[in-house]
Amino acid sequence: MTFRVKRMYAIFQKDLKDLSKNMYIGSTVFMAVLLAALYGRMDGITLELHFMVINMTFAIVTGFIQCAIIAEEKEKNTLRGLMLSPATISEIMAGKSLVSFITTIVTLIICMWLTGYTPASILPIAIAIILSIFFYIAMGTLLGLLSKSVMEASVIVLPVLFIFGFGSFLVGFIDEYPVLKVIEYFPNVQIIDLAYKVEEGLGFGDIWSHLGVIMAWVVVTALITIVVFKKREMDE
Amino acid sequence: MLENVIEVKHLAKVFGNQTALEDVNFSVQKGETFGFLGPSGSGKTTTIKILTGQLSPTSGEIKVLDLPFLSLKKSDYRKRIGVLTDNSGLYQRLSIYENLKLYCQLYDVPIKRIDEVLETVNLASEAKKVVSKLSKGMLQRVTLARAFLHEPDLLFLDEPTSALDPVNSKHIHKGLKKLNDKGTTIFLTTHDMSEAEQLCDRVAFLNKGQIRLLDAPKMLRLKYADESIQVQLTNGKEILIPKGPEGADELHNYMSKGQVVSIHSNEPTLGDIFVEITGRELI
Repeated sequence: MTFRVKRMYAIFQKDLKDLSKNMYIGSTVFMAVLLAALYGRMDGITLELHFMVINMTFAIVTGFIQCAIIAEEKEKNTLRGLMLSPATISEIMAGKSLVSFITTIVTLIICMWLTGYTPASILPIAIAIILSIFFYIAMGTLLGLLSKSVMEASVIVLPVLFIFGFGSFLVGFIDEYPVLKVIEYFPNVQIIDLAYKVEEGLGFGDIWSHLGVIMAWVVVTALITIVVFKKREMDE
Repeated sequence: MLENVIEVKHLAKVFGNQTALEDVNFSVQKGETFGFLGPSGSGKTTTIKILTGQLSPTSGEIKVLDLPFLSLKKSDYRKRIGVLTDNSGLYQRLSIYENLKLYCQLYDVPIKRIDEVLETVNLASEAKKVVSKLSKGMLQRVTLARAFLHEPDLLFLDEPTSALDPVNSKHIHKGLKKLNDKGTTIFLTTHDMSEAEQLCDRVAFLNKGQIRLLDAPKMLRLKYADESIQVQLTNGKEILIPKGPEGADELHNYMSKGQVVSIHSNEPTLGDIFVEITGRELI
């Protein structure tokens, strides 16, 4: 089974056109940008606040848009049409994820400009951001596949978005509730720890563990998503 | 010997404790239009879903385009088939043209093919129309156009004209015949008997998950015809006369007196035969 860029690109083009006519995409991006604009007006904005905006963008733009795209395909029975076409699972998923990926990158650039975040070293932060986008895309796809409609998706996605979008706030409660220590391994917390180390001038030797943890989230979520997709491929 | 495009042996499908298909056996030859006839819930859609790799069989053996069931999810197989089922959806915010353009790109078909298929389904002037604004019948025609956009070797159609008016059904039938003439094998399910008679080379009657009868429509009608002919007389009476030599004198008598208006062989419709075989109406 060979991967055909042409087919992936056709799905991407279709999604781009379809979503450009869709209100929820515009409003979701607007929310993230609005939040960034509000925080950007504050004095002495901390690294945590910069990353709260970034994590929020991951959650509401990447996660939610991806989840809604997949859920809508399911609700309207168009995903079945794609599955019955020569497009493979990887082509469908890559095509459908590219829109969320590009939308996230553009939104992040605008948000980071509005909050005035300029990392001490761009490369490690860029790698961490790209890995995080992959994680949120996989998570959004999974939730979209588990939903029957866009309405259901917008409900099912909320707790997950809360945990991964705002979960870093819960770190402050770890001393009181040790069970919350698991949050330290969440990708949204890992990227903040990584960003602090980058600001301290540390190199890849000191941050690889954070990248590794985020990568592990990507791999595990992607594997679960593939299994669920394969199950959904059949109409049992 | 004619090549079989579909071969099904002892196919069974069970959902929980409900049997959808039971010991189903049939084959479809290359270039044939094969009809699966049966009422709602008889197992027609289940059969199409199994043959298109959307459902796995509980038991039995199937081969489509020389491929076993496990290969039916592969891209190479899907390139060669077209499918229209009740769950074929379209992108609501895009136009008819944009919807078909996506599938042209997925199947590697030139974009100009869109005009041809839209002509076939009588939608040539509506290409720019947004799908959300289409009527149910128009939606059905667009999904049908999408199913045969790439001139597949094998076309699966689940109730292809169920939402269409007679004019558009006729248009679709013409298009399907043209496609069939070009070599596409068609497997269709329907409960419209006239559609089956017009399009199908052979039909199978499916009832409660079992094939009850399988033959050419004409053969079935002859086989189940009674042994009489129906004669309409000038006095308004309609009489039945035995087909054999024993009726010859009686018919000759009426004809010689100029009393015959019309003569019809007394063949049943496919619907009549279905009721006779299964005791159920085709609804």
